[in-house]
Amino acid sequence: MESNWAAEHLQAIRTLMERSALYRRALAPVMTANGVLGALAAAIGLMARVEAPRAFLGYWMAVALAAVAGSFLLARRQALKDAEPFWSPPTRRVAQALAPSLFFGFVLGLLLAALEPALRPGAGAALGLFWLPLVWIALYGCALHAAGFFMPRGMKIFGWALVLASSLLGAIGAFGFLEEWIRPPLFGHSLMGLVFGLAHLAYGIYLYFTERRGNEP
Amino acid sequence: MNLEPLLRLDRVIHEKGRMGIMSMLAASADLSFTELRDALEMTDGNLTTHIRTLQEAGYVSVTKSFQNHRRLTTCSLTRAGRRAFANYINLLEEVVRQSKPKPP
Repeated sequence: MESNWAAEHLQAIRTLMERSALYRRALAPVMTANGVLGALAAAIGLMARVEAPRAFLGYWMAVALAAVAGSFLLARRQALKDAEPFWSPPTRRVAQALAPSLFFGFVLGLLLAALEPALRPGAGAALGLFWLPLVWIALYGCALHAAGFFMPRGMKIFGWALVLASSLLGAIGAFGFLEEWIRPPLFGHSLMGLVFGLAHLAYGIYLYFTERRGNEP
Repeated sequence: MNLEPLLRLDRVIHEKGRMGIMSMLAASADLSFTELRDALEMTDGNLTTHIRTLQEAGYVSVTKSFQNHRRLTTCSLTRAGRRAFANYINLLEEVVRQSKPKPP
């Protein structure tokens, strides 16, 4: 009888410790920095007329790598500042949750860049500058949703919002609505800037104002 | 069944609310009052009372500061608190171990 009670207590303690170990480190700075990077990259891409599908793919994959590296550096900086281990269990769990979708998105980009010369010009542009950004956004949404199980609740909602937005835009594109507006390469850069730039920036600013609110009883 | 480990359980920690607070704090460097209150679904008054008890036992330290012009209360386990919590877990594990049938 006592052992059941003790086992239940240990289980409750384990659950509470897991709940407490949610990843919270540097979320606002990471989101804001990635937002600035995404918005700048979109503006530069549009101004520099990065329009060829392969150039577009290479350009945005380089931006993504810079964003990942920058996020790691920001998280590491905060860990050092707080005298905490960087590769903590919550950080490990979040990285593991993000990895499969981000990896697949990267591989998809590489494959399309490799195959693009063999495609008809129109097909290459449509795949590289319209459909792949949508798939990237959906995969990124899935990655955030998975990581959201080890992060504050808002992250899962953000992930879902990206998946839904990508699905909606895909449907609009597939049925040919708003054809004038949804046209590569303007669409590709604008969409990437909107999602990876402005949406992150807005979420980062939201986090700055809501994290660690005043909490006096 | 040897009841000795049960008798040695720390009475300060061995209460549902305080055990919850200690468990949450054991897994984090520190947690804000709001985070604890929301995660444990406690009222402000209840949480304040339990934190005060843990503070008086020397298990929890409370820091008050300002962030975004608002008062922020954060709690963390003291060294004594971590030790007491580890002992508490060890005793519970001992109880579970004792109940397992010994191999012939």
